[in-house]
Amino acid sequence: MKITEFDPKRDLIIVRSMIWGRGQYNQLSLAIDTASTATVVAPHVIEDIGYTPRDGLSITTVRSAIGKEQGYTLKVARFEALGFACSNFEVNVFDLATGPDIDGLIGLSFLQHFDYEIYSIVGRIAARPAAADARPA
Amino acid sequence: MVQTQLAQTPFISEPLTWEQICQRYPDEWVCLVEIDNINDTDFAFRTARVVGHGRHPRDPYVQARPIRDRYEGMGHYFTGRVRARISGMVIE
Repeated sequence: MKITEFDPKRDLIIVRSMIWGRGQYNQLSLAIDTASTATVVAPHVIEDIGYTPRDGLSITTVRSAIGKEQGYTLKVARFEALGFACSNFEVNVFDLATGPDIDGLIGLSFLQHFDYEIYSIVGRIAARPAAADARPA
Repeated sequence: MVQTQLAQTPFISEPLTWEQICQRYPDEWVCLVEIDNINDTDFAFRTARVVGHGRHPRDPYVQARPIRDRYEGMGHYFTGRVRARISGMVIE
C-alpha cells in the first residue's frame, strides 16, 4: 500500500506525477478524475520530453461543455503517480479547456490498475496494485 | 514586451523552498530542477532551483530550453491557487 498526500483545501485532488519521454522526464501536478476514462496531459509537457504530434497514435476529438478540441493519443515511455509506474503508457494530449493552471488529469486508464481509497478530510490517497502490469515506483 | 524578454533569458536560481518560490513568482508557472524531494509520492520538497517562470504554462519551458539538456528531470508547477474546474468531457 502506497500513501500519497494532497492538499485537502484545494478544489481538486492534485497529486505529483512523473512522465518520461526520450531520456528526460517531467514532474507535474495532475488532478485525479475518476469521471475521465483517459489520462490527459497538456501538449507543452509532451514537447518538453521529446515527443511531437508525429509520435501520436491517433487523432482524437474532445467535446466538453466549453466546446470541441482536437488532440491525439501517444504512448509515453513511463508514467508514474500514487507511488506506482506504468511503462509504455497511453495518454491523451490536448490543452484542457478547464483552465490554464493544471497540466492534466489522471483518469481511469491509470487508476483502473489499482485499488485506492481517498481520504478527503485529511488529504490522503492509499493505493495498491490491482493488476500485474503496475509495479512499485 | 518586457515580460517576453524576461521569459527568454536563461537563469538558474539559488535553492529555494516552495514558499520562497511562491513569494518570488506569485500566480506563475515555474520550471524547477534539482528538486530535493522528501519522498517518492508527495509534491512536498525541501528546495529546488527555478530555471524558468511565466504567466503561461509554456513560458518557463521556453526559458529553460537552453539548459534543459543539463537535467534529466524537471518540475513544472503553478504557484497560485488552482481554479480549474473539470467538467464532463467526451473523448472520441
